[in-house]
Amino acid sequence: MIPQSHFLILGAVLFAIGLYGALTRRTAIGILMSIELILNAANINLITFNKFLGSPDGLGQIFALFVIAIAAASAVVGLVLVIAVYRNMKTIFTEKMNMLKW
Amino acid sequence: MSGPIQLLNNLLNNYGMPQGFIVQASFYVIAAFAVISALGVVVSRNIFHCAIFLALSLFCVAGIYLFLSAEFLAVVQVLIYVGAIVTLFLFAIMLTANIGDRSIRHTNRQVLAGGVVAIIISIFFIFVIIGEPWKKALVQARPLTLQEIGKSLMSAYALPFEVISLILLAALVGAIVIGKVRKE
Repeated sequence: MIPQSHFLILGAVLFAIGLYGALTRRTAIGILMSIELILNAANINLITFNKFLGSPDGLGQIFALFVIAIAAASAVVGLVLVIAVYRNMKTIFTEKMNMLKW
Repeated sequence: MSGPIQLLNNLLNNYGMPQGFIVQASFYVIAAFAVISALGVVVSRNIFHCAIFLALSLFCVAGIYLFLSAEFLAVVQVLIYVGAIVTLFLFAIMLTANIGDRSIRHTNRQVLAGGVVAIIISIFFIFVIIGEPWKKALVQARPLTLQEIGKSLMSAYALPFEVISLILLAALVGAIVIGKVRKE
């Protein structure tokens, strides 16, 4: 039997990797991919606690389902924003997207 | 576990391996693959490779869900993440980035600071997780059937379910409106 802490450590490591990516990527697409990794780490934690605390109606699994749906929606909107910015400014680098800065 | 896996398990037991060795070993192999391909997502220099690594990592996480007796979630993960979101990422990359060019830097100047923050946070989390005396599973976990998930979604969690469908509709409409080419 695999102990609970190993699943949680996997989630923590995936979260830290996603955080590193979100902090250091220069392209908006890379940041979005790192955010997907972070959401996956959260999902692992939700499902782990659902299994080891024994929720009767599967609350953790259902909220993991909601997290997947939210992640899909956010990825769609984010990527469309990237494409719209690229069309107007011809760049995908976040430091060039500074129209709103003075 | 049945069939060949059971047979292999018995064989390994005869040679002194503990019970359930294959399940444990495959968990650690899949977890290592998930972590390595996640590292590939954040350090790869070609953004196209990043998307492929992301697909591999999400696939491995779907395998992890199987160890947590969440079969439905694993299927949903493969269908939505690997099937839809990564495809979307690949399309966005091909529509925007200059994928073949390796000379472009893909990281900003915060590599050192970001790495230190990520390592400190992961060490902190791991210490907290190891230090906590986790209880043994209270309830004997049994896999949630699809029927039970559907019943919960339609009864106890009907309100969040409807909110999610509203969010998806809003994302759909918003994506079309933002992505549309305006004729001047």
